[in-house]
Amino acid sequence: MASTVIKYVGRTTDFKGKTLWEIVGSLKNQGVGRIIVRSVFERYPEPSFMKIVKVETCPDEERRRVRIWVEKTFRGRKMPNLTEIYRTSYKPDYKLVPKNEEAQLLASVKEVHHFPEVILPRNIEMPPLMKKFIIKDHEKKGLEVMTDFTMPITYNYSPNRVKRIAKPDEKPTVQFSMGLGTPASPSLYEGVPLS
Amino acid sequence: MLSQNSLLKRTWPMVVQCAEAHRKPRWVPVAKSKVFRVPKRPVVSEEERLELLRLHNNYKTQMRAIRRFYHEEMIKEKQTRESASSEMSQRLEAEEWARCVELNEKWNAQVAIEREERRKVEVNQLETYALKRMQAVDEKRVQAIAKASEEIKRQKELSSTFITPENLEAAIDHALANPTDYNFAIDLKGNKYLGRDTQITKPKEAASSASATA
Repeated sequence: MASTVIKYVGRTTDFKGKTLWEIVGSLKNQGVGRIIVRSVFERYPEPSFMKIVKVETCPDEERRRVRIWVEKTFRGRKMPNLTEIYRTSYKPDYKLVPKNEEAQLLASVKEVHHFPEVILPRNIEMPPLMKKFIIKDHEKKGLEVMTDFTMPITYNYSPNRVKRIAKPDEKPTVQFSMGLGTPASPSLYEGVPLS
Repeated sequence: MLSQNSLLKRTWPMVVQCAEAHRKPRWVPVAKSKVFRVPKRPVVSEEERLELLRLHNNYKTQMRAIRRFYHEEMIKEKQTRESASSEMSQRLEAEEWARCVELNEKWNAQVAIEREERRKVEVNQLETYALKRMQAVDEKRVQAIAKASEEIKRQKELSSTFITPENLEAAIDHALANPTDYNFAIDLKGNKYLGRDTQITKPKEAASSASATA
């Protein structure tokens, strides 16, 4: 057979790897007990991987998909429940971890979470114009003058949240404020006065 | 003609380019010449990416907090407005109710008077109508009686010519003596010839068309 020529069509992708069925379909016992990794989650410093627990095939109309249940470890935290993967199983973004690397990966996660904990604040100070506006507004309406210019922050819910939201009387480890903040890459602000 | 100055001082460009004019519609597939073209990704340096991520995250957190603050304030204001208005509204509603009842009773009394008058007129009309009908019925009965008595009179007069067992023989004799023949013939001119055995004298000019005796 002549060497196959690969021709790319469409747009580039961030995905790297195979679809789940490509991995699972070619393994003994459909890969139950093996460990897979989603390459998108490899951008985090903590290890993220999934151990296959159960595999169910899909009807012929869904030939790109497969329904599997995994023990998921995301960013160094093991999820308490099994996770079902079906909707995302077609994504060509999964990698199989070789058997000789499995033990190392499993050992990298300890029972107790050992990464530094990030506690998110519950409140944020108002922006300056809003403060002035509220003072005027309350004067106009005859309400008592506000002294505490903070407002609660909402966080979107996610089961994969790594950072913790502070309890009522807890000191957060990070602080959000209105304004520019400290730049992540100061080289971009060279010659710009940051006050 | 347009003057040069007006062209130079125009506010709108002379040629307006329309972005959609040379676009393919969404449902048309990729052009053959562009099938294997893989568009290049914009290259963003790592520093810039991190900084933009931080800024965007900050912005979203700030905006969420502001939005939540005003949303809660709106709900609070709405509640205070409702609770304040509920006491007022109860009193107002009671007053309104009393007013409505009074007005309703007034209307009811007025309508009652009108109804009494109307009823009187209606009863009168009904009486006259009933009387008229009774008279009509009476008249009809009288007429029927008169008609019947007339008929009786006529039949009595006729009864003198009836055939009775006494004069039956005479009637039979009379019928046998005078037989009646209803047969007749018609020629083309419409002349009627009574009787079955009547002798027909043929007219000279129409000898062939005559005589069609049954």
